[in-house]
Amino acid sequence: MSEAAPTLSLAAMLQARRVRLKPSGLAGRILLALLLSMICAAALIALSGHDPLAAFAAIARGAAGSEHQIGASLNRSTPYLIAGVGVALCFRGGVINIGAEGQIAVGGAGAAATALVFSAAPAPVAIVAALLGGALAGAAWAGVATAIHLGRRVHEVLATLLLNFVALLLVQQLLAGPLGQFGAGFLQSPLMPRSTWLPRLPGFDAHPGFLIALVAAAVCSFVLWRTPFGFALRVAGSSRLAAAYAGFSLARLTWGAMLAAGALAGLAGGIEVLGVHRRLIEGFSLGFGFKAVTVALLGAMEPLAVVPAALFVGLLESGSLAMQRQIGVPSALVTVIEGLTMLFVLVATVARK
Amino acid sequence: MIEFLAATIRIATPLALAALGGILSERAGVFAVGLEGMMLAGAFAATVGAWASGEPAIGMLLALLGGAAIGLAVAIVAVRFRADNMVTGLAVNILSLGLTSYLMRIIAGGGRPINIHLTPLAAVPIPGLADIPVLGRLLFTHPPLTYVTAFGCVALTLFLGRTQAGLTLRATGENPEAVFASGANPLIVRMLAVVSCGAIAGLGGAVLTLQQVGTFTDGMTSGRGYLALAALIVGRWTPWGAAAACLVFGAAEAFELRLQSFGVPVSSYIIQMAPYVIALAVLAGLGQSSKLPAAIGQPLQREH
Repeated sequence: MSEAAPTLSLAAMLQARRVRLKPSGLAGRILLALLLSMICAAALIALSGHDPLAAFAAIARGAAGSEHQIGASLNRSTPYLIAGVGVALCFRGGVINIGAEGQIAVGGAGAAATALVFSAAPAPVAIVAALLGGALAGAAWAGVATAIHLGRRVHEVLATLLLNFVALLLVQQLLAGPLGQFGAGFLQSPLMPRSTWLPRLPGFDAHPGFLIALVAAAVCSFVLWRTPFGFALRVAGSSRLAAAYAGFSLARLTWGAMLAAGALAGLAGGIEVLGVHRRLIEGFSLGFGFKAVTVALLGAMEPLAVVPAALFVGLLESGSLAMQRQIGVPSALVTVIEGLTMLFVLVATVARK
Repeated sequence: MIEFLAATIRIATPLALAALGGILSERAGVFAVGLEGMMLAGAFAATVGAWASGEPAIGMLLALLGGAAIGLAVAIVAVRFRADNMVTGLAVNILSLGLTSYLMRIIAGGGRPINIHLTPLAAVPIPGLADIPVLGRLLFTHPPLTYVTAFGCVALTLFLGRTQAGLTLRATGENPEAVFASGANPLIVRMLAVVSCGAIAGLGGAVLTLQQVGTFTDGMTSGRGYLALAALIVGRWTPWGAAAACLVFGAAEAFELRLQSFGVPVSSYIIQMAPYVIALAVLAGLGQSSKLPAAIGQPLQREH
């Protein structure tokens, strides 16, 4: 063991480096997976009696046909990108965190609560405070999962998955109580104070969330590839044994990755609340966390590659509504494409290295 | 009181069937996160099958097949290609949600979901037993799939505990290398277990549509698959334990419905949290002594 371990650890470290040197094969396989799911989608469109090419054209026009539509697509991509980058960070470290769904919801609630407290503050202060509140709430929720996972040795997937449902119900409870708007008829908070609304980007009908998301992706890429923490995380993801042998604390790595992912997911929830709805609404982030996993997979757990992945899903979703309106192909098709893409990408990234 | 207990059994039935399927999958070593998608596919197939043929039995058959199809997708991606179980489960849940909503809309053409209204299956009193006061109404006057669920609990307990195949399945979840060494193929065992899990969970979805609601709506399982997953954890991966957990969850929901109708100011959201919190507490309480199958979620070695 003492003879074998150093070579094992060295091999794992080399492998952690090599992933970056030869990404071309992986990218090719992911594109192939994407192509396959598009072919399946085309078959489904044909099954409904419509022309697949016309439907795809309608999606493209609806997603990016005008500045307004590009703005809507960017807004859609934003939460997926921010939360997806966090998920990618966790997956890279071998921590299967599927708790983004709950962390986003709690983050949205945290941001809304903070925004209501800071209603008298000037706009920049109020916005920053509210987004920080969201990030903190998301990180705290991820922290609960991590504490259960590490403290009681509960599998992290079960801890994060089960806490998702608790989080969604918790937000509903908050909306039925302290955060709710009395007499609204359904679960929503009062409108956020105007000073906390995210501004619109000039020219586009988008909020600056996408820019924040790009910064988040760049920072995570830097952390993953240029810092000791990122290096340790990659080693731990390739081989827990090697990481333990090299003296990295697995607990500390898990805490770091989970808290970062939780903060990012919470930030995504906050941006959605302040930038899109301007109030906390029940189910405002339904499915976002699972789509964050989709885009992280599609981006091969590489923070910068999650950018095009999130853009793809965001464009697809906002374009599909136009497709449904113009051609009559149900927009549920996009959900099929997302599911199929996940499956194909899973096979493509695991099969035959 | 009888009303309350009857509601408990009604709510618990689809959960219990799905949980039974999930036990097969997890005892063989594959996390059953895909239960939600399998139930949804079963619910959809049952509705369309029963509507198109006019025969509820055809609906049930299609529910088995629909759930099994989702199970097959999990088996191929997670077992054959060794992808992460959990993420694969999430993926098929998304796929199933999309596919059922999409197909529901293109069946009739025109892009609107087709309107199906089935008469829910009637209760079939068991002759003799159903005449026992109180108990007869509570236990022996149910629609067919409820009996199937109870029978499934017995059958699965016997299968896992008393048969060679059941032993091989459990061994695959604990130590696949040993199964390989003994001459069986853990890959095949796991794939079969996951496909069967899909079929049974699909039938659980059929309970919702054929026996309770009579129609299919988008995403109508609304988290019941995850609830079943929580139940089989709380029940420590045993059929009776899972069924008992489902009854407790069912009682909580029935209780909540009663409270609402009486206007008692207790938050329904807090009550709805209970199953997940209990599941977490059980997992946390188990700690290292967890009854979780030892090799669950671990991909098979290449040699197999």
